[in-house]
Amino acid sequence: MGLFLKGITLPKRLSAPSLSLIELAAPEKVILPLRQYVGEPSEAIVAVGDSVKTGQLIADASDTHRLPVHATISGTVTEITAHSDPRGLHVESICIESDGTDTWLTPPEAQQPPPDTDNMVTRIHAAGLIAQGPFSTPLAYDLVPVDQPKTYLYRDGTNVVQKIDTLLINCLDAEPSLGVNRYLASTHNDTLEQGIAALKAITGATRVVFAVDKHFSPWPQLNEIVQNDEEEATCITALNGRRFPTGLPIPLVKAALSREVPLPYGHPRDVGVALYDLHTVIAVGTSTTSSAPQTTTMITLGGGALKQQGIATVRLGTTIGSLIDSLGGTTDAAKIICGGPMTGMAQYDRDTPITKEVTGLFALTDTEIQLSGEYRECINCGMCVKVCPVNLLPGILSLYCAKDKFDLAEAEGLFSCIECGACDYVCPSRRPLVHLFRHAKHQLME
Amino acid sequence: MEHRNYIVSMSPHVRGGQSIETMMSTFIIGLIPTALAAIYFFGIRSLIIMVLSMATAVIVEALIETLTHQKRTFRDCHALLIGLLFALILPSSVPWWIPVVGATVAIVLGKALFGGLGNYPFNPVLVAWVVLRLSWPERMSLFFEPHTTTQILTPLMAFKEDPSLFYSYNLSSLFLGQKPGLMGTVCNLAILIGALFILYRGVIRWHIPLSFFAGIACFAAVLRYINADVYPPVTFHLIGGGVFLAAFFLAPEPVTSPVTPTGMITFGFLAGILTMIIRMWGAFPDGSFYAILIMNSATPLFNYLKPKVYGRSYSA
Repeated sequence: MGLFLKGITLPKRLSAPSLSLIELAAPEKVILPLRQYVGEPSEAIVAVGDSVKTGQLIADASDTHRLPVHATISGTVTEITAHSDPRGLHVESICIESDGTDTWLTPPEAQQPPPDTDNMVTRIHAAGLIAQGPFSTPLAYDLVPVDQPKTYLYRDGTNVVQKIDTLLINCLDAEPSLGVNRYLASTHNDTLEQGIAALKAITGATRVVFAVDKHFSPWPQLNEIVQNDEEEATCITALNGRRFPTGLPIPLVKAALSREVPLPYGHPRDVGVALYDLHTVIAVGTSTTSSAPQTTTMITLGGGALKQQGIATVRLGTTIGSLIDSLGGTTDAAKIICGGPMTGMAQYDRDTPITKEVTGLFALTDTEIQLSGEYRECINCGMCVKVCPVNLLPGILSLYCAKDKFDLAEAEGLFSCIECGACDYVCPSRRPLVHLFRHAKHQLME
Repeated sequence: MEHRNYIVSMSPHVRGGQSIETMMSTFIIGLIPTALAAIYFFGIRSLIIMVLSMATAVIVEALIETLTHQKRTFRDCHALLIGLLFALILPSSVPWWIPVVGATVAIVLGKALFGGLGNYPFNPVLVAWVVLRLSWPERMSLFFEPHTTTQILTPLMAFKEDPSLFYSYNLSSLFLGQKPGLMGTVCNLAILIGALFILYRGVIRWHIPLSFFAGIACFAAVLRYINADVYPPVTFHLIGGGVFLAAFFLAPEPVTSPVTPTGMITFGFLAGILTMIIRMWGAFPDGSFYAILIMNSATPLFNYLKPKVYGRSYSA
């Protein structure tokens, strides 16, 4: 399985550098956007000048399109204003200046288990969890409960009833350069089993599949879970994690389960798969055993302009500038990327905060990005066709997009493009293919 | 601490793979064994032809780019490749001005007039070859016996005159190059070594060469089955003429060949069959160059043989 999946093998320098854990001190200032997911912003319930404690609710959510926001340090609210976020948008954000004590509203060790009357979806929502990945919706909204299947109407009129039968846990990362899930797969996590149990109970999935990177064995805890499963409905699928884009949701469902997500506009749940990162599953487990909200996130730190590289647990709202400085960042960083180097977003502002969506922070030097700004004409070599994981003809599509023939591009399957960037990576003419596709999609959607 | 302004652009933020320069130089490196074999069999004369052709190609491209105020791209090794490939499909007997005229025609008529690299519909090398073949037919079909300057007919020409002659060639001399022919086509072993290199480096894919051989082999096998007395064996067709060079270096030329796997296989197979038709019933002894040129014109059609877009059966 996965043998015939197309894509690229990234060189060693772009694979996860080291999976060592970096300890970080609590930041002096955090900026907490009121929207850290795809959806609507929530409403602030604190005012400028209020003092808050770690874990305190500072913005409330009225429905599942929004998520509650919690303070991640203790201190004083200094500002509530629009601020740049990692997506490059301006979002209303709460700034908190630290008082240096980091006092919790309720210390994590004193947290009571949530009352049994709450159902699990409510707990997941109250903890503020999101489904990490390209869709990044609030987790409570993303989950399809077994008793209320969602139906989804496609543009062509096909009606899809989403009924989950498989829980696919992504222990790879979206890109080989990222390493959080790989790191978690190789260690022991107290709440993983509770997380799996909760997700199985909510979605009604009968089978659990771990998609792991075969280069990062062993996985003691995962093996144990597979052995302890009396129904034998749990398995481990080892995939080549150096291959890109195996870790992205749509190719991963194909590689691990041989199911094709309908494209365009498809989602793994359309083919009965609940696909979550290991990181998310563990957070779900935590939210079922304790009522502590999510105040931190685990991200990969990499790039040649950082002295220290590895995995770190970061307080939400830490600005990327202060994070880079605390890791011994040098001034020769040419590009700061939230996410991985293949699919991440380039940042322009050192005050942009780390949000729940961020999976990695990369500070790349000039030599790493090889930016020339010049590109040649398509030489029709077919390298892009060879690597495209969804079988498009990227070169020909790019010609249509560059000449404003957007309708022709759409007929060729433009919207099936998952923007993985593999074609862009291999193009000998250095054509900005993904840029052209995004431009065309944007023009067509208007 | 002072920080520079960060660069903002669309993902991906890293690049890999090949550039046009590395692709073209890989092709040139792949042709080095063939060029050495040509020098071994036909002497220093062939080296002079190659140097003249390559120098002309680069100078003409540089001149055109200067005169038309285009971006200077003559250093990208593509003109060099055109010059070398063109020299290799000449007989060693040609006078000095043939490579000069041919390389000029290849760059001007074959490449620059259509808008440069990426836009020409026909392989520039073959365009130049056809122009010269039709303009000076007697100079383009005068072959020397290897290591001498004795005039002799190539195996395929001899076969055209008298079908029973093919038994006078032994297979190892046909494969290793001890035979008259175009400079770059005599030593199939050298071509194969270079071809394995470019296949390994990924600048061409296996589809076109293999299906090209398959097309020739199938057609030749059918003919052989019909009448073994008149038609030569399959191996004679595969190694007797310019098929190896055509299959590995001329047919898979990136710009003028299809990009989809099915398209490439069909392209190669039909080019192989067309080669055989021209050899058997056409006016020319070796049809592979003409066959590729004709198939080039249909390349956009072969690109319609697309793979199924992922997940499309569901929604369309």
